[in-house]
Amino acid sequence: MNRLATGGLVERDKPLRFSFDGRAMTGLTGDTLASALVANGVALVGRSFKYHRPRGLLTAGPEEPNGLVTLGQGAAAEPNTRATVVPLCEGLTATSQNRWPNLRLDVLAVNQLAAPLLGAGFYYKTFMWPSKAWEKLYEPAIRRAAGLGALSGQPDPDAYDRGHAFCDLLVIGGGPCGLAAALAGARAGLRVILADGDLRLGGGLLSERRRVDGLAGADWAEQAVAELAGLKAKVLTRTTVFGVYDGSEYGALEELTSGGARQRLWKIVARRCVLASGAIERPLVFTGNDRPGVMMAGAVQTYLNRFAAVAGRRVTVATSTDSGWSVALDLLAAGVEVAAVVEARAAAPSAAAQAARAAGVQVLTSAHVTKARGAQLSGVEVAQAGGAVQRVACDVLAMSGGWSPAIGLGANLGARPAWSDAIQGFLIQSPPPGLAAAGAAAGRFDLAEALRDGDQAGRAAIEGLGLRAPDTPAPSAEPQDSAVASPWRTPQKAAKAFIDFQHDVTVADVDLATREGFVSVEHLKRYTTLGMATDQGKTSQLNGHAALAAATGKAIAEVGTILSRPPWLPVAIGAFAGHHRGRHFRPERRTASHDWAAAQGARFVDAGQWKRAQWFARPGESDWLTTVNREVTATRAGVGVCDVSTLGKIEVFGPDAGALLDRLYINTFSTLAVGKVRYGVMLREDGFVLDDGSVTRFGEDHFYVTTTTLNAAKVMQHIDFARQVLWPELDVQACSATEQWATYAVAGPNARALIQRVSLDIDLANAAFPPQAAAKVRWLGAPGRLVRMSFSGELAYEISVPARLGEAFVRALFEAGQGLGVTPYGTEALGVMRIEKGHPAGAELNGRTTAHDLGLGKMMSTKKDFIGRVMAGRPGLTDPDRPRLVGLKALAPNDRLRAGSHLLTLGAEARTENDQGYVTSAAWSPMLGASIALALLRRGPERYGEHIRLHDPVRGPEVLAEACAPTFFDPAGERVRG
Amino acid sequence: MAEPLHIQEQDDLAIAMVMARKGVDAATLGARLGFSPPTTPHLVDGPSGVRLIGVGPGAWLALAHDPPAGWAAFLADALAGVAAVSDQSSAYVVLRLSGPGAQDLMQSGVSIDLHPDSFPPGAAAITAIAHIGVTLWKLDDAPTFEVAVFRSFAAAFRAWIAAASAHA
Repeated sequence: MNRLATGGLVERDKPLRFSFDGRAMTGLTGDTLASALVANGVALVGRSFKYHRPRGLLTAGPEEPNGLVTLGQGAAAEPNTRATVVPLCEGLTATSQNRWPNLRLDVLAVNQLAAPLLGAGFYYKTFMWPSKAWEKLYEPAIRRAAGLGALSGQPDPDAYDRGHAFCDLLVIGGGPCGLAAALAGARAGLRVILADGDLRLGGGLLSERRRVDGLAGADWAEQAVAELAGLKAKVLTRTTVFGVYDGSEYGALEELTSGGARQRLWKIVARRCVLASGAIERPLVFTGNDRPGVMMAGAVQTYLNRFAAVAGRRVTVATSTDSGWSVALDLLAAGVEVAAVVEARAAAPSAAAQAARAAGVQVLTSAHVTKARGAQLSGVEVAQAGGAVQRVACDVLAMSGGWSPAIGLGANLGARPAWSDAIQGFLIQSPPPGLAAAGAAAGRFDLAEALRDGDQAGRAAIEGLGLRAPDTPAPSAEPQDSAVASPWRTPQKAAKAFIDFQHDVTVADVDLATREGFVSVEHLKRYTTLGMATDQGKTSQLNGHAALAAATGKAIAEVGTILSRPPWLPVAIGAFAGHHRGRHFRPERRTASHDWAAAQGARFVDAGQWKRAQWFARPGESDWLTTVNREVTATRAGVGVCDVSTLGKIEVFGPDAGALLDRLYINTFSTLAVGKVRYGVMLREDGFVLDDGSVTRFGEDHFYVTTTTLNAAKVMQHIDFARQVLWPELDVQACSATEQWATYAVAGPNARALIQRVSLDIDLANAAFPPQAAAKVRWLGAPGRLVRMSFSGELAYEISVPARLGEAFVRALFEAGQGLGVTPYGTEALGVMRIEKGHPAGAELNGRTTAHDLGLGKMMSTKKDFIGRVMAGRPGLTDPDRPRLVGLKALAPNDRLRAGSHLLTLGAEARTENDQGYVTSAAWSPMLGASIALALLRRGPERYGEHIRLHDPVRGPEVLAEACAPTFFDPAGERVRG
Repeated sequence: MAEPLHIQEQDDLAIAMVMARKGVDAATLGARLGFSPPTTPHLVDGPSGVRLIGVGPGAWLALAHDPPAGWAAFLADALAGVAAVSDQSSAYVVLRLSGPGAQDLMQSGVSIDLHPDSFPPGAAAITAIAHIGVTLWKLDDAPTFEVAVFRSFAAAFRAWIAAASAHA
């Protein structure tokens, strides 16, 4: 075991069993998966993306590029999980990725031999010819060879929760700086949210051996969290803020451990935000710098101090920062052998160097590691200023090449970070509104500075909100040197010197890209894929820019850096979908008779969000056509009931309601008598048909408009736009009543008899209630509405009752209608009957037809103006050659007409220029015993009797049909008057 | 979390949309009703058990528990000439959510701030929960919210409540 006997924030009396690649291991409560692997001496954790090189843990935090594992198995498997952020739990199973057959022996490591082929831009230039081979050969081969974890291919069994939060101050990052900022804000009474990706707050305090306000760092952090909780601040642990959006909105993802959901997606609106996200340590670039055993110095320190886990027995530290030296001293204090400290700078920090030398550590200045030796690190080669090269034996190299402020979020809204010579890194220049970086994220790396900076940022937020900050002192710590130097140099012909560990991008790739002209940072990223994939280049970005600068002879400040888009860390798609998947993908709307219909064997069809009964299958009916034919014939022979509640319903009130409707419809409504209903058509401003429906007048200043199901919202908007914007001078009020009424069409020769059996307290005799009559009625004391109108061509009524009573009413109808053969019918039978009658519906009101096209041109009033009138007169819309509505009847009894078929004259070749129109709706008519259709045919009404070819290149052979008037059944319309 | 939460459908609630005629202000309406309607998204309780919730310029939802039959028509008569009234009693399902858990559940659904400082008792909003349009108002600091959803969405809304409260 590589675990120290004492120290660390782990609980030695609470061991946890887990497995990695099937090997049973034990860790401790407080461990991450990564620290438990380190403690178990596991150096090899994965294989690299392209070359399948063996890789070990590089970091101890969320920026980890190498340590990606798959957690769990089967549908619940979570691929590409960073081992460094997974809290260890009992029974956890993890497996390594991108290797075959196993991690130690990976056959595809031969890819390394093909490295010259897999360099920068290989996607674009290697497999150009022959092109057919790309899909069949190259791409599958590349996909197998290169990649990360695999998806299970099964539905995600996890649930995802959603949260919205609002605060005065959002603090991103729970390290010393963030805690100081949150404390300042909470003490002033602000609503504070502190979010940190870690399970435990404290950030760097958990990794280093520093004291704050006289307390050990971790203890101070614990005390701060307790105070924040007492001040009602919301502390979100394991919560990563992943994006900054307009309107001071922040996206965050919380990992949940209880409550049934895997993660919670937060939308946080914050008036002020302190970005205290810390800094990410940069690797050094040299040959073999990706070998297992080469780690970030800060990570070695974290494993040592926080987890009491030592990554090796003999450590070499290579650094260009003061922080690297504190790692060396911490190792020595823990009794770990330090072979050497390789300092890139000419002068080492004197006190630290002295202490190191005293402990027998070799100190080399102006020195660089040039090569890592051994597949599993066995030593490094170090070159000094004079050119002398010496070997140092070690099994861990702790490297520190400087610190990059973690400011990706600061660039989310488009501001490019600016280079700072002082910190040798990029800083936020123009942060998103309300956001300020503090502490290490603002380049103030030392603990004492970071605490002070966090406190000040908190105070600035308080004052920015117009409040007074309390007089509490900022938390304090002993200052420590935190200088960094620029470690970048061009290694002479360094082979396999990795910049992007996750995407296997080397210095040679950057050089190649530069030679090929990709000299902008954004092009470099796309061409080499540097900075892509799950880690988005958190450890590699700046080294890449430095290499580009070196290759182009520019300064890094000139080269610049890329813009970072959300998300900062990977977010599962499931988290964004949340509740909205499967049958909850979008909320469904159900009519009042839904449950009743389901019990009658209804099969439902989607009409927008609505579920409508499509047909009602009876036992023994094996195909839908049998069912629909029965529904049609039963309705036409007796009586049928169809739920039409989904049609849009709009109440229009006011002294000018009639005047407004006259301007909305092509026909006139101001003259409609009270107690009457009339069919109406409205146009869009451009002259095409918008919608059709009925308008009933229930009072001098009260009209009741119906729309098609799918256009309900559009027509409501249209009416509101007309009355509020176009003609605000009109005294008209309008509101939707779609949800208020459950409406049933009752159609067939026995319709009157049926309605008379449910007590509506109204005389339905033809004289008293003729076609187009309308009345307010009562059913069991409740208000109802009855209109006599027909879509089916039968004697028909539409009855509306309050939706609350809808199910009771439909049950009453069917109870009353038992002796009358009452039959429920669905949208298919509805469709058949309206095609038999030639009524246009959705397929004909398709946004490309005019009233004239649909045979409704005569309805267009010439005595008034209305929306669309002028544009309907355009030459293109009055062209006599336009396709117009006709009926089609199959010539051969067994032929089936299909919607979508194109129309051709006999003998014409099936080419676009010969196109005569197309079939909009088709049905089998049980009344005619024939396949019939509605179609839009050029000069259609002039061609009744002509034989037409229906050409359907997708679904089948051509069929012949005869053009006819679109009224197939009861053309004289006698049944309606029944 | 998992704080106490009580959910109860208000199925005796009569609802009507009241829309002022052109040029008629809230005061004129108030003179007919005997109390001043809110001119912001808030609720005001009238003396006769009628509650008005401001839902737009010149538009209110009127609510009454278990009123006499024909209440909406009666209201229309009382407001004749100054406002149009549309009975919407069946258009909505109104759920009352009460208890500390109601705050968490509602906030997990709506993207407006329901903190007592921002959304005190009497406040109302028209917004969306899980892509379902809702009108909601707050009655007291328990807190007690009432949420009105269109009746056709009630099953979908209950499914959201079940899912969201399972995660709380």
